[in-house]
Amino acid sequence: MKKLLNKLLGYLSKPEHAILILLLIILIYLTIVPLFYIGVDTFTVHSAEVRRIRGSSVGDFTTYHWEYVFKSAASDNLFYKPLINTLLVSIATCAFALIVGGFFAWMVTRTNLRFKKPISTMMLFPYIMPSWTLAMAWLNFFKNKSIGGVPGIFTALTGIETSDWFAYGFIPIVLVLGMHYAPFAFILIGGILRNMDANLEEAAVILKATRFRIIWKITVPIVMPAILSTFLLVFSSAMSAFAVPSFLGGPVRFQVLTTQLYRTINGVNPGAGYIIASFMIVVGVAILTINQLIIGKRKGFTTVTGKSGNISLVNLRKLRTPISSIMLVLLVAVAVIPLLTFAAQSFFVEPGNYSLSNPSTIFWTGEGSPDIANGEPGILKNKYVYQGLFNSFSLSIVVALIAGTVGILVGYSVAKTRGRFGSNMVDRLAFFPYLIPSMAFGAIYLSMFSVQRGFIPPLYGTFAILALVGSVKYLPFASRAGINAILQLGKEIEEAAIILGIRWWKRMVKIIIPIQKPTVISGYLLPFISSMRELALYILLVTPSTSILTTMLFKYNEKGWNQYANAIVLLIIGIVLVFNFVINKVTGASLDKGIGG
Amino acid sequence: MPEIILKNLTKTFGSVNAVDKLDLTIEDRDFVTLLGPSGCGKTTTLRMISGLETPTIGEISIGGKVVFSGEKQINLSPDKRDVGLLFQNYALWPHMTVYQNIAFGLENMKWSKEEIRKRVREMGDLVKISDLLDRYPSELSGGQQQRVAIARTLAPNPKVLLMDEPLSNLDAKLRMEMRAELKRLHREIESTVVYVTHDQLEAMTLATKVCLLEEGVLQQYAPPLVIYDQPSNVFVGDFIGNPSMNFLDATVKGAEKDGVSLETAELTMEMIFKSKEAEVKNGDEVIIGLRPEDITLNPYSGANSCVIYSTLPSGMETVVRAKIKNTMFSIVVFGRVDFVVDSKMEISFPSVNYLLFDKATKNKIGAGSLKLTE
Repeated sequence: MKKLLNKLLGYLSKPEHAILILLLIILIYLTIVPLFYIGVDTFTVHSAEVRRIRGSSVGDFTTYHWEYVFKSAASDNLFYKPLINTLLVSIATCAFALIVGGFFAWMVTRTNLRFKKPISTMMLFPYIMPSWTLAMAWLNFFKNKSIGGVPGIFTALTGIETSDWFAYGFIPIVLVLGMHYAPFAFILIGGILRNMDANLEEAAVILKATRFRIIWKITVPIVMPAILSTFLLVFSSAMSAFAVPSFLGGPVRFQVLTTQLYRTINGVNPGAGYIIASFMIVVGVAILTINQLIIGKRKGFTTVTGKSGNISLVNLRKLRTPISSIMLVLLVAVAVIPLLTFAAQSFFVEPGNYSLSNPSTIFWTGEGSPDIANGEPGILKNKYVYQGLFNSFSLSIVVALIAGTVGILVGYSVAKTRGRFGSNMVDRLAFFPYLIPSMAFGAIYLSMFSVQRGFIPPLYGTFAILALVGSVKYLPFASRAGINAILQLGKEIEEAAIILGIRWWKRMVKIIIPIQKPTVISGYLLPFISSMRELALYILLVTPSTSILTTMLFKYNEKGWNQYANAIVLLIIGIVLVFNFVINKVTGASLDKGIGG
Repeated sequence: MPEIILKNLTKTFGSVNAVDKLDLTIEDRDFVTLLGPSGCGKTTTLRMISGLETPTIGEISIGGKVVFSGEKQINLSPDKRDVGLLFQNYALWPHMTVYQNIAFGLENMKWSKEEIRKRVREMGDLVKISDLLDRYPSELSGGQQQRVAIARTLAPNPKVLLMDEPLSNLDAKLRMEMRAELKRLHREIESTVVYVTHDQLEAMTLATKVCLLEEGVLQQYAPPLVIYDQPSNVFVGDFIGNPSMNFLDATVKGAEKDGVSLETAELTMEMIFKSKEAEVKNGDEVIIGLRPEDITLNPYSGANSCVIYSTLPSGMETVVRAKIKNTMFSIVVFGRVDFVVDSKMEISFPSVNYLLFDKATKNKIGAGSLKLTE
């Protein structure tokens, strides 16, 4: 017995072991246990449901939710139609993103296209900006009178009324999401094309293959794993998108799983919402597990890279300048014009009236008058906006600090005990939140922490629950960075310090972290930016006192207070762009090179 | 007949001449190695012959046909040059089996299925991979991948074979084995081979002729033993041979018709020319070159004494460093011998292949015997 205790103490005396055990316990509690509670919640009667389930009282066991979601008169509208919509939107989004991103990637890496630099840079814009910016821009441009509002810029300028199918629903959702994720395809496919050993294609040239045959028989098969991987990542992202389908689908009641999840959990049937969330978690985990398998296989496809000279680029001849210009103009339209519309919209008093007498700074600095938006003051004078700004910032900073620090610890303990069971477990658990759709993740935390759990008081409505959910959700970014940082370092660097008898925390602070500063900093900044622009993760958990900029944007948009919404969009984009710029400067790497999300 | 002629071949990257005015005639069925330190332009030369790289100016003809000419605006694409190219990293297509890799070139030439099958079998037998045809490249060892790459290159039966450091990714033992096989293969397939390497041993052992380049400029183009014994300048003498040649700076004192007396910092020596390409006169600054195996150590007799500084016995030979006064020589002694460090020995120069270079131009002046005079 004493022997065993000594052995245990000996094991724990190494810092990496102690941290590993601690992380294992915490991560199991924060990622696996909530799944159990959400499972329980799908069989439980909630206070909002007492009336619809006859003779029940809060907390009773029930199978009502499962029957209601899957086989009741309401199932079609509640679940099956949104499910089909979700699948259609996700598949179409993937196709659009892959075609646009893949085409741009091939053009940039394999032809003598002009303006390659500006095209590559601007191609990343739609991804750096939050996805709902393009949705807002779309509304600014193409909204019509059918929802009782005012016409968009397009109608105002041309006098042509846009029809519903074009202004709202499936088409714009796919275009906007597709454009948002096209950079993703561009980066992944372009990366493979650029890093692909040029000798592979040259060998085929020497063996007298035609250019078409080279693309079809050599290039495409080798890029295929990247295409598949892109497909799966975009699919799962599109499936979990909330803001875009909500903004663009709402006016014509085009529902997808996430919007249904929001409606049910916020409405009269949280149990049904928890079922939808569970369903999405299962699908999300399945898709990304398949992706991991594919990436694992791709190893066999990377060959020893030799000196790959410049492979001969396809000559576009006469089409060179026209094609290059068209691509550039398209990107400018997608990347820059939306920003202009936000600025423009936020300065017009009477929406839809684009005459010159109309502009005003009332929505920025006005004191608020009772006839406009219930007397809400302009956003620079509005204490709620400042409150939201303050909340957003403090939330993102806390999230970044927790996720970044835990990420380093995960990196350290995983890298030091590599290959062991515990190490693999912590590695996977820290990555697990990445697999879960944001809103479903919010839902499971709602389910877990809305009541007292052991010594943890009910957290709903507090700042703590937002910080907790954000930290865990963005831990994957930070833990990837942490693991890479420590692995790259090699153990000798630290061993040299151990020999000199330097203590653990000093080794971390004085040696490891300073050497890997850029990676460590990006482990803090990535969660910050992601949290700053996040909506779906927090929307189920905020209350008026804890609301943040993105949720305010959502509320303003729902109320039709366009100018306020546009002004806030500008504010958020500004913050995101500034910090993205900081990341680029500090680390030389950018958000787009991370694992995405 | 595939004779390759390069005329005034130049390739400029930016402002750097990767290859500078290269004239070279590679005769039919030659095995020519392009040798030089990395960045000397050897791979660029090979890629220009293959057509993957376009020369800046110059002319290339293969088998009497001009395939590139800057003047006449001729530039045949790689597939029309009838060359085979073996890549350093093999460049096997990872998504195709060994069979598909070898068959790919034949399919492009529209061979019939039956002919392809026959040819792939033949190639498999030639390079001894017949039992691996259904595997993927990732399932093969480095040596096996190398063989597949050779089979793929040889299958269409190209007149000219270009090889870009094909053995550099193999371990030492396998490399030795493949060298012997490549040399054998060259005899069997009767084609012209141009072979790029930075390994002088490989260049010397494989080639019928070695082409030594430095910074894009041809240094010497000759059979291996000529390069070894009569290096045209200091660079060639230094680059070829391991351990490297000993070099001594000296001043010419008594210049006569067939001999000179030379004075180094500490020693005076006399060289009798066996061959001479340039004239020397008193006061000329020169460099004496001595191959380590051309220096002999004998038991101490009192005359011409040296002190052993270090010894590295390897069984087959022993590499010794020894000092006369403060002048250090590296010496190779063959056989199973060893010496006592700090002991005294007699040193002698029995060969007739000592070299004399001009210190200013670095070019060879002549070769002959050498004797210490005190």
